[in-house]
Amino acid sequence: MSFFKRFRKKSPWILHYNAGSCNGCDIEILATLAPKYDLERFGVINTGNPKQSDIFLVTGPVTYRSRERLVKLYTQMPEPKVVIAVGSCTTTGGVFRGMYNVEDGIDQYIPVDVYVPGCASSPQLIIDGVVKALEILENKNQEIEKPFKLFGGIRQVGTKTSRRDMAKKVEPNRSDDDQS
Amino acid sequence: MKKVVNIPLGSQHISLLEPIRFQFTTENEKIIEVGADVGFVHRGIEKACSETFEWKKVGYVVARVCGLCAITHSLSYTLAVERLLGYEANERIKYLRMLMVELDRIHSHMLCLAHVSENAGFEAMFMQIMADRELVMDIQEAISGNRVQFDYIAIGGVNRDVTPELVNMIHKNLDELRPKIDDLMERFSNNWSLSLKYKGVGVLTLDEAYIYNALGPLARASGLKTDVRAESSDFPYEDVGYEMIFESSGDIYARNMVRLREIINSITMCENIIDNLPTGEIIEKVKGKPEGEVVVRVEAPRGELFYLVKGSRKNFLDRVRIKTPTFSAIPAMMEVFKGSEYADAPAILASFDPCMSCTAK
Repeated sequence: MSFFKRFRKKSPWILHYNAGSCNGCDIEILATLAPKYDLERFGVINTGNPKQSDIFLVTGPVTYRSRERLVKLYTQMPEPKVVIAVGSCTTTGGVFRGMYNVEDGIDQYIPVDVYVPGCASSPQLIIDGVVKALEILENKNQEIEKPFKLFGGIRQVGTKTSRRDMAKKVEPNRSDDDQS
Repeated sequence: MKKVVNIPLGSQHISLLEPIRFQFTTENEKIIEVGADVGFVHRGIEKACSETFEWKKVGYVVARVCGLCAITHSLSYTLAVERLLGYEANERIKYLRMLMVELDRIHSHMLCLAHVSENAGFEAMFMQIMADRELVMDIQEAISGNRVQFDYIAIGGVNRDVTPELVNMIHKNLDELRPKIDDLMERFSNNWSLSLKYKGVGVLTLDEAYIYNALGPLARASGLKTDVRAESSDFPYEDVGYEMIFESSGDIYARNMVRLREIINSITMCENIIDNLPTGEIIEKVKGKPEGEVVVRVEAPRGELFYLVKGSRKNFLDRVRIKTPTFSAIPAMMEVFKGSEYADAPAILASFDPCMSCTAK
């Protein structure tokens, strides 16, 4: 597998997900990919597909409705993968900490490898974070990484779709049958 | 034979910056019905403004509603509170605030244009506009100390002053930017994939703009002459060379042209502002606590931003209500989607320049 490892290090693809951020970090990620800071010189391409991505860039404190998508995107990414939390609110909740619809940072849901602070994170910091993540990615193997919390599925109640089970937290060590 | 197909777009998609989900009902590639779900990034800022944070801190919290138009949010809140306290800022503070708002408008419009060209499949143009945008970002960083979330506006003034060296730097960067925008204008009106392909796509007529309450560049592209900068007298916009810009065709091409011409106008305004900066203090002490109810309107890059602030001489405000331009323009957006091809949907969406974190708060 060291054959693939060599190439993965030279062309890590990025998946970017906004889990309730204010757009500040998102436009800084775009600016980082653009010519002045040029993150693409590390072989990085921003993809929209979790199944082709190696690096998961998350911005924003996790809101009530985005957490289930966050976990889904994370589980769809193939191993080895690294998660970078971009921005103060992603790491701890930041200014949004304690608001009623906010879950105070992504590390309650998925394991995070690199924390990038700043409100909004400057492009230099984001580059530093990605370079650090590349080192971590190199040392990781194919071992399956699991999110801390999983969610149940959608249920049909009569004619309507009920999402109530989705909000229920399911322990990750239970068998797959229970998670539907 | 007609076949009705439901196609979802979002909530996570490569052409979307932010989570928003559309449910398109299409009939032979033609969209006949649209449903939008905009609440993915709701955080509950309005509640926190009246319960968690004291009124002096709220200006920095509402800036986090949106990273693109952070300055207009903190400006609207500060104007509202200053009006409740009976304080009127001096001319220098007004000019400095106006300068930052116009710089913010330039960089926001450029980001939108970059996104439009990316969704047209024009990746090189995206990169070029993002590179040109750095000129404005550098000015903002030099003035306020941060690139995006500049907590520049404080109650009673602004936090940093513009020094003579900065004035030279602003002049240099804006002079560099102006020919680039002229060049972009030519590209956007002559390049096949950006002009001819976009003419007649995603049309919002003048009547529809009236009925569905379109705002900002979206309305001005349809010929609806609405702009808070011209309607309110909070800032001396007439003195610095403001002119209202509007087109008549209402399609994606018209919206791009409105944005480009607004950038040119904003550059002119910024140059006039730094050339004619009045003298005075940049921050003054404000006493008292807010009492009463006030409504403030400010022109954000996407349209009219509306703030209602209500206080009763306490440390915590009774209510902060934020109505953002994208929220008001959603009915107009839905109307534009109907009748257009499904393949045009990402391009039309990008041309609206929607801001979901504004909408959901």
